[in-house]
Amino acid sequence: MSRQATPADVLQETTIVDADVHLSGGISPEELAEHLEEPHASRVTSPYCYPAATGSDWDPRMGGKIEPRTLETPEQVREDLVEGFHIDHPLLNTISGCAGMPNSDLAVGMMRATNDVMLEKFLDDTEFLALASVAPQRPDLAAEELDRIGREDQFVGVFLESYAQQPPLGDPVYDPLYEAAEANGLQIAFHGAAATGFKRDFPQQNSGLEEFLSVHTLAHLWQQSLTFTSLLVQGVPAKFPDLNFTFLEAGIAWVPYMMWRLNKEYSFRRSEAPLLEKSPEEYVRDQFYFASQPLGEPNDPEQMRQMLDIVGPESLMFASDYPHWDFDHPEELGNYLRSMFTAEEREQVLVETPREAFGLDI
Amino acid sequence: MTGEEADGRLGEREYVVTAADEIADGERIVVQLEGREIGVFNVGGEFRAYTNWCAHQGGPCCEGSLTGTVEASYDRETRETSLEWTREDEVLNCPWHGWEYDVTTGDCLSKRRVRLPSHDVEVRDGDVVVSL
Repeated sequence: MSRQATPADVLQETTIVDADVHLSGGISPEELAEHLEEPHASRVTSPYCYPAATGSDWDPRMGGKIEPRTLETPEQVREDLVEGFHIDHPLLNTISGCAGMPNSDLAVGMMRATNDVMLEKFLDDTEFLALASVAPQRPDLAAEELDRIGREDQFVGVFLESYAQQPPLGDPVYDPLYEAAEANGLQIAFHGAAATGFKRDFPQQNSGLEEFLSVHTLAHLWQQSLTFTSLLVQGVPAKFPDLNFTFLEAGIAWVPYMMWRLNKEYSFRRSEAPLLEKSPEEYVRDQFYFASQPLGEPNDPEQMRQMLDIVGPESLMFASDYPHWDFDHPEELGNYLRSMFTAEEREQVLVETPREAFGLDI
Repeated sequence: MTGEEADGRLGEREYVVTAADEIADGERIVVQLEGREIGVFNVGGEFRAYTNWCAHQGGPCCEGSLTGTVEASYDRETRETSLEWTREDEVLNCPWHGWEYDVTTGDCLSKRRVRLPSHDVEVRDGDVVVSL
């Protein structure tokens, strides 16, 4: 008698793309310093400044209740993600922090240095794929950087940190960045930040909410829904029709709310979003993509079927957020897909949608 | 059927709603026909008739303001967005929530395949005749 396939066996047999893998601890200040001029080289290795001192107000690991995890080498990516989680194609990124740096010259240096280290350390000797860091403070220099790293096939997109951006990311000041991304076939992935980023956008709430549980519940949602709104109302998908926009780390249940709310607001006040040539939902369906993590946890699992249906396998992809403390193991989404969807729909989520969203050659 | 409606009745579902010179260019009247409110517009000398029932939530859209609206285009070379105030007096705005309709066609400007129910209207012997 043959043994029944376990969920792990099933994951092993399936090609899986993981859209959000963080190289936590993978790019050290010393490695960055090798690619920076002074005064920035000394600045990034100082124990008093970011990145050595993270500037977080919070304790995500609750004093050690959750174990620390890093992802520091390509070998560890292979061991933890490829072998451990059966992820075939982890899209590597690093929260460089450059997007939130008040000094734009340092931010630009960090952007280039981070991409250099990513390339040398994680891509040159592997087949891994990665998202490039950018400093949106200087859209013109971010565009130059995308022209530079766009020549590297393993960079498949732009990791655009969606916290601390003023003006919000739909503003025309970012057009050179989006234009260069589109021209280089680098698709956009937005990503917020809670422990270090929430206070940048919402300082009053960061002070008032008392617990990280509250901050962490709201941070990615607020940052991503702000970005989503700004992009649509300012007409960014209409201006850049060949660009795709993936939203990482805010889950999916907010998507129908925002999509339908924007439809409603657009019909109320269409003349305030005159670049749009169709309803917000149509742009979302055509050019926006959503990563699953953190997948919400309804008390009635059957309701997840409806949510996955609304977002749609054609717009949904898997992300783990590994090695962060709140990562999702692929088994969670995988089980829903296996029990509630067809094999084709499951394959669409796990590989076809990210392939399409990022134009992956896999 | 009200007396008002019976008076204007011509034939099967055809009604004289007023004399053509009673609705000046850019003006409209709202009349009741078969229990329905119908807006009759003079748009540059052409008459249009729509049910006074917004596709959104049933608001009295035919009583809303007629204005222009903003349209935009993006020039990729210059990265400039040009805003243009267009369709002066041709955009009918539902007074409840601001839904915009093209008064010449009844098409909703924010949703595909949504339009105000329209009715045939013609000028016959100096009268405006609406067919339901």
